[in-house]
Amino acid sequence: MVEAATVAAAAPIFGDAGLKALGAAIAIAGTGIASAWAEKDIGSAAIGAMAENEALFGKGLILTVIPETIVIFGLVVALLVSS
Amino acid sequence: MSRPKRMTKAIIVGHKSILKVTVDALHDSNLFHVEDFIEDESGFKISKPFQNAEEVSRKLVKIRSISNFLGIEPKEPAVQKADSVLRELDTKLNQLDRSISEKSEMISKCETDLKDLETQKRDLLPFLSINLDFDYYRGYDNLKVFAGSIKGNLEEGQISSITQAYELYYDPQAKTVVLFVAKKDADRVQEVLQKLEFRDLRVPERGGIPSELLKVTEQNEADASRQIESLRKEVESMKSQYADFLLASDEILSIENQKAELPLRIATSQNAFIIEGWVPSDNYDKVVSTVNSATSSRAYVTSLEIEEEEEEEGHVPVEYNNSKPVAPMQEIMDLYSRPKYTEIDPSSILLITFPLIYGMILGDIGYAIILGAIALAIKKLVKSDAVKPLMNILLYCQISTFIFGIIYGEFLGFPLASMHAEGETIPGLIPGWDTVTLFSGLAGEQFTFPVHRTHMIMTMIGVCLIVGLLHLNLGFILGFINLSHHSMKHAVLEKGSWMIIELGVLVAALGYFGGISGLTYVGAGILVLGIVMLTMGEGIKGPIELPSLMGNTLSYARIIAVGLSSIYIAGTVNDIAFKMIWPDHSQIGFAAIAAIIIFILGHALNTVLSIIAPGLHALRLQYVEFFGKFYQGGGRKFNPFGYIRKYTEE
Repeated sequence: MVEAATVAAAAPIFGDAGLKALGAAIAIAGTGIASAWAEKDIGSAAIGAMAENEALFGKGLILTVIPETIVIFGLVVALLVSS
Repeated sequence: MSRPKRMTKAIIVGHKSILKVTVDALHDSNLFHVEDFIEDESGFKISKPFQNAEEVSRKLVKIRSISNFLGIEPKEPAVQKADSVLRELDTKLNQLDRSISEKSEMISKCETDLKDLETQKRDLLPFLSINLDFDYYRGYDNLKVFAGSIKGNLEEGQISSITQAYELYYDPQAKTVVLFVAKKDADRVQEVLQKLEFRDLRVPERGGIPSELLKVTEQNEADASRQIESLRKEVESMKSQYADFLLASDEILSIENQKAELPLRIATSQNAFIIEGWVPSDNYDKVVSTVNSATSSRAYVTSLEIEEEEEEEGHVPVEYNNSKPVAPMQEIMDLYSRPKYTEIDPSSILLITFPLIYGMILGDIGYAIILGAIALAIKKLVKSDAVKPLMNILLYCQISTFIFGIIYGEFLGFPLASMHAEGETIPGLIPGWDTVTLFSGLAGEQFTFPVHRTHMIMTMIGVCLIVGLLHLNLGFILGFINLSHHSMKHAVLEKGSWMIIELGVLVAALGYFGGISGLTYVGAGILVLGIVMLTMGEGIKGPIELPSLMGNTLSYARIIAVGLSSIYIAGTVNDIAFKMIWPDHSQIGFAAIAAIIIFILGHALNTVLSIIAPGLHALRLQYVEFFGKFYQGGGRKFNPFGYIRKYTEE
């Protein structure tokens, strides 16, 4: 652990490792915001529909979680970049 | 894998004189789903409710309003004989109604009294320190009495400068003034007082000294409150005394009401009735014999052919046909949508796939034991029919979590087996248990037993995607079976084509990475064939949806992603507690207690998250990825005419 810390401190941010980590971070952050944004609208509409008819819970849940795939893609990209 | 219960469409025809016995028999059997009759050109009309309907619903309204007033809730049933309850019903109900209205009237009277006393008290308070009988405030011919409150300060000199004939009582704290002056001086005195913003106070009409009156009022107030209290207690005791009776009679009258209103749902002519509906085919004979024995075979019962159109359009009511262990999964099905009559009911497949994916995500022996114990406890303590299936599902999930916990070797975020990797050793909880490297995985990782998820992320992503592909293909196979009942051609073109496409990709990949170029071309050929079949089956929308196959498969990467988040939360809690707060394990003191508190709180939080996150993600993988491949849903619930008695018996 100590060795890793000194290496990280010595290495420049825009070196190979740093850029990889930044790329992974951007992939996660961007896709996270994107799916949150998409789910926000769908989720509020789904809650509205459920207030009218509770039987719509299943369909509401499905529609709400569809954009989640975006962040999963982001995760995969991040792991591929950083590994 | 099962299909919904087979249904038989049946009609019962008879003379109106036997309608009541027929309805009674059908209701007792609780097997017949009555199809509501809609008036049309045929000349049949819906009938009127039975004669007793009005009386029954009047009593029902009364019972429910009393239950509501007493706050009676469903409870552990004490089963009573229906006829004995029915015999006592009228007298008991009237008696109850009378005493309840008496009590509530008395309560409301006491509450009004209490409010009056409150007002009286408020009127008394300003005069409290002026110890003068209220009778002295009135009844003078030549005296004017000023009784009121002022702002600012009153000097006695202000009055004495106007007249010597006065009597002043002044309470400087409450700013209450009581002033007696001769009538002839009254105007001038009033001017002085008005400068001090004098406002009249209401003088209580009762005579007496204020402090004594206050004592009496407070006494009365206490009496009234006590009386309300005792009345409330009596109502409370009535609640426990009559709860069983009210629940039982509510049930009996609800049953009577259902029966009495059935004529509104069936077709009748001048003298005859027709009841149309659905019976599970297995029970058809039973319904026939029940109706026949009740009416001495004077009613005509027959089954009708179910038209294909009715099946397709979802007119046939759907009843699950599952064994007892599978039954809890029906809750998950109902949450989405009940299966159609013509399609496969995937509850029994969910019994395996849902806990499997949940367990793969969570995979921790500690959480499995905690959550399993919670589920068992709730199942024991809460007798609600709505909660039980959910707890059973949670239990199934914990069994799978426990098994995966052993495979992953995890206990509350601690690794159980020690691991040697890249020159460092990560100690495990169980000394002497080392991880064994089985073979090398993806991206230079080692596949070990127990599986250290944090050290073989890429390999686990691969494993998850394979699980996902298997799950999706199971969906395609179910879709194939669903469609093949309809037409084999559609089944092959719409669902089989997807599997051919997968096969093509697989063969091509094998050829490409294996360096056999011939195989690559064969694979590409199969792929093209699959795409052509798909286009024939689903039109242009088929090829457009091709990338969704990749999206759906990659979606299963969430299994490891959500699992890792759970491990890292647990691991962080452990690190904070045992590495940061209490690093020296030999010393037992304040740090040890703090560490244990942090440990318990942190894991309590993660336990709650461990229900929500893996549960929702496992559910989503079933609903979106899996069901999307074959499931339609939208079946109508089989709702038999009858009642499941809880508080009474025949």
